[in-house]
Amino acid sequence: MGLIDRGLAPKPLTKILNLARSYSLWMYQWGLACCAIEMAAAMGSPRYDIMRLGVIPLPASARQADVVVIAGTVTDKIVPSLRRLYEQMPDPKYVISMGSCANCGGPYWDSYSVTKGVDQIIPVDVYVPGCPPRPEALLQGVLMLQERIKNEDMAVRWRGGVGERGEPIVVGG
Amino acid sequence: MSRLSSEADAPTEASGEELAPVDPTRQAVVDVLRDALGAEHVLDEVIEGNDVWVRVAPTVWREAANVARAALGMTYFCFLSAIDWKQNPELGGQKLWDPDADAGEGPSDGPGAWTTGKAGGDTRFQVVCRLYNVTTHVGLTLKADAGDDNPRIDSLVPLFRGADWHERETWEMYGIDFEGHPGLRHLYLPTEFEGYPLRKDFPLLAREVKPWPGLVNVEGLPGEEAGDTDESAEGGES
Amino acid sequence: MTVTDYQKAAYVAGQAADARINFELEAEGMTLNMGPQHPATHGTLRIILRLDGEQVVWAEPVCGYMHRGYEKLCEVRDYAQVTTLINRIDWLGSFCNEVPFVLAAERLMGIEAPPRAQWIRTILFEMGRIANVGLFLGEMGAQLGALTPVFYAFRDREYVLNLIEGATGGRFHPNFDRIGGLKDDLPKGWIDEAKGAMRRLRDFCDEMDDLLVGNRIFQERTRGIGVIPLDVALEYGLSGANIRSSGLDWDLRRDGDHGLPYNELDWKVWTHPDGDSFARYWVRLQETREATKIVDQLLDGLPSGPIKAKTPARIRVPKGEVWLHTENPLGEMGYYVVSDGSPGGPFRCKIRTPSFSNVSISSWLLRGVYVPDVITILASLYFILGDIDR
Repeated sequence: MGLIDRGLAPKPLTKILNLARSYSLWMYQWGLACCAIEMAAAMGSPRYDIMRLGVIPLPASARQADVVVIAGTVTDKIVPSLRRLYEQMPDPKYVISMGSCANCGGPYWDSYSVTKGVDQIIPVDVYVPGCPPRPEALLQGVLMLQERIKNEDMAVRWRGGVGERGEPIVVGG
Repeated sequence: MSRLSSEADAPTEASGEELAPVDPTRQAVVDVLRDALGAEHVLDEVIEGNDVWVRVAPTVWREAANVARAALGMTYFCFLSAIDWKQNPELGGQKLWDPDADAGEGPSDGPGAWTTGKAGGDTRFQVVCRLYNVTTHVGLTLKADAGDDNPRIDSLVPLFRGADWHERETWEMYGIDFEGHPGLRHLYLPTEFEGYPLRKDFPLLAREVKPWPGLVNVEGLPGEEAGDTDESAEGGES
Repeated sequence: MTVTDYQKAAYVAGQAADARINFELEAEGMTLNMGPQHPATHGTLRIILRLDGEQVVWAEPVCGYMHRGYEKLCEVRDYAQVTTLINRIDWLGSFCNEVPFVLAAERLMGIEAPPRAQWIRTILFEMGRIANVGLFLGEMGAQLGALTPVFYAFRDREYVLNLIEGATGGRFHPNFDRIGGLKDDLPKGWIDEAKGAMRRLRDFCDEMDDLLVGNRIFQERTRGIGVIPLDVALEYGLSGANIRSSGLDWDLRRDGDHGLPYNELDWKVWTHPDGDSFARYWVRLQETREATKIVDQLLDGLPSGPIKAKTPARIRVPKGEVWLHTENPLGEMGYYVVSDGSPGGPFRCKIRTPSFSNVSISSWLLRGVYVPDVITILASLYFILGDIDR
C-alpha cells in the first residue's frame, strides 16, 4: 500500500481503515497467572463479554493476532518465549499489560526470578493496573486503545514503527 | 469435636522435652524408630500434640525413611525440604541486608550465631522430610543435619519416587547434594542461574537498591507526590 | 552440502514407495514441545514429549515458568504481609491458601480464633473450593473439545465471586484472614444470598452431569485413560481428589487437626475405585455438590460472637515450628512455618503445594499414551501453575 506509507491516502479512507482496525482486534492472550482468570472472565463470562467491543479471543497463532494482552507475572525464564512470540506478531500490533505483575513486577518486586515489568522486554501501549484488575478495567483498557487506534496516523505508524507509538495509556491514571 | 490442640500446648524449646500426657501412638512411632535404628542414631525427638519431630543422624537418613515406610506404614510422601539456620536478622522485616556483617560462628546462643529449632541441630543446613500414614493419620517429621559448607545427604528416591522433584528443588535452592539421585538439575530456575536462592546469604537485590519504605499511611495519587511512586518503578533494574 | 539423516530416511522411503515395497523405517522419534504458552495447559507448563508416531515414549514436564520465589519472599515480609502474598499461590480458590498459614501462625502464638470466625472461615474456604473446582468441571470439557461447559462454569462462578466480593471486597485474592480471626463480619443479607447461590450451583452441577458425565464421547475419552494405582499415588504424594479417585478414603477436612468445624457437620467423602481420568472428574463433581451442602449447613448453624480474638497490634510470633495442612481444592496444602521469635516474618516458611506432587507423577504416567490422551490426563490431574511453581 504505497499510498499509506507516503501519507498520500485521503483522510476519509484512513479514517475508515482505522475504524475497521479498532473494531476488529484479534486478541492474543498471554495468560500467565491470576490475571489470566480475570481476562478469561472478561472473555468467556457473559457478564463482561469482550466480544461486544469487537475483540475476538483465541487466534490460531501469534501470526494472526493484532493485540496481545500480557496478563500475569513475567518470570526471567519465560522471557525468551515472550520475545519470540511478540516478534511473530505482524505489525501493526499493540500490547496491553494487564495487572501489576506485568506492569512493574507487582507484589513480587523483590523476587530473584521475576522480571520487573514486561515493558523491559516489549513496548507497551496500555497499562491496566490492579491485582487483579477487574474485567471492567480490562474492558476500559481496550476501549482506550480503540480510541487511540481511531485517531492514529497510519503513515507515521507505518514509517516509524516502534518509536512512533506515543505515550502509553494508563487505565485509571 | 474440635481437634485443635494449641490451647493445651505452649511451644516448647528443643531437646526432647515431652509434655504430659503424651499420645501413645506418637510415642510408639519414636520407639519403633529408636529400636530399628539404634538409640545412638536417634539424636532427638519432640512430641507435641499431634506431631512428632525426630532428628536422626545423617548416616541413617535413608534407613529411617525406610523404617517409617515399612514398619510404621507411612507410605505417603508429603514433602522434603531444607532449612538454613544461619541467622541473618538483616533479612527480616524492614532492614537492609548488610554484606559486610560478620558471618555467624558456631551453633551457640549469642548475637549473630546459629540457634536451631525443634529437635535441635548441629550444622547450618538441615534436611526436613515429612511422611504420613493415611490410614492411622499419624505423621512424622524427620530431620537430619546435612553439613555446613558442602551439605550432602542420601537421596530418598530409591524408596519414594516422589522424592525426585522435591530433592531437585532442595538442591537448586540450597545446594544440598543428594547422593543417589538419578539426575540433579534445575527444576524452577533457568539453567544459567547462579547461586542458591534460599540460602540466607543470597541477597534480594531489589531490596538492596530500594529498601522497603516501611508503613505508608496514605499513598498519594499517581503524579501527586513528587518522586516516590515513579522512581520505585525505574530504580532497581539494570 | 551435507545431507541430514532425515533427508536420507525420506529418500529411502520415497524409493521404497516407488518400488511398492513395504518396509519398516527405523526413524528417530519426534520430540514435541508443548511449550509454555499453550491453550491446553493451565498456565505456563512446558511438557517435552518424545513420540514414536502418535505414542509418547518419554515425557518430561518442565516447570518454573511461574516461579516467583515465594519461600524467599515470605522470609522478608511480616506475617501480615505474607498473607497478602500467599493468596496468589492457588489463584482460583484464593482464600483457601491463607487459611492454613493463619492457622499455623495462631498455633505458634497459642491464640484460638473465636467460633464465629472459624465457621466463616470454613464457609469462605468451601466457597473457594466451589469456585476452583467449578471452573475445573467446565474446563476439563474445554480441554477435550466440549466448548460449552466452560461458559456455564464462568457464568456460575460469578455467583460465588459475587459473594466473596460482598464479604471481603475482592473477587479473588481477598486477603481477609487475620491472625486471630477475620478482618470483618459478614454484611447484612449475605446469608440469604449465599443460600440462593448454593442452589444455583447445585443446578450447575446437575448441568455438568448432563452435559459431560453422561456424554458418550466424554466417557470414551476418559474411561481407562491415565490409571493411577494407589501405591504409586502414595509414593508420589498425590492428594485430594486425585488420590480419592484411586480408592483411598482420606480427606483432611475430616481427618486433619486444623480446628475447622467440619466434624460438626453431616457430609460425605466421595471416592471412586478406578483411578482413571473419568474417576477424577466424577469425584470432583460430587465434591462440588457436597461443598454446596456443607455451606448450607454452615450458614444455618453459624454461631454469633466476636469475629476476631484479641491480638497485639504488632504480631510477634514466639519461637517454634509448626506444620499445618488442610484439604485445599487441589489437594493437601500445608505450611511448615519456622519462627525464630524475632519481630518480622517467618524464619522459614516451607509451602507444601498439592500440584507440585500431582504433576511430578506425569513423567511416569504419560509413557505409552497417545498425544490426545496427554491432554486428557493433564486436564484430569488438575494443577494450577502458581501451585506448582509457587
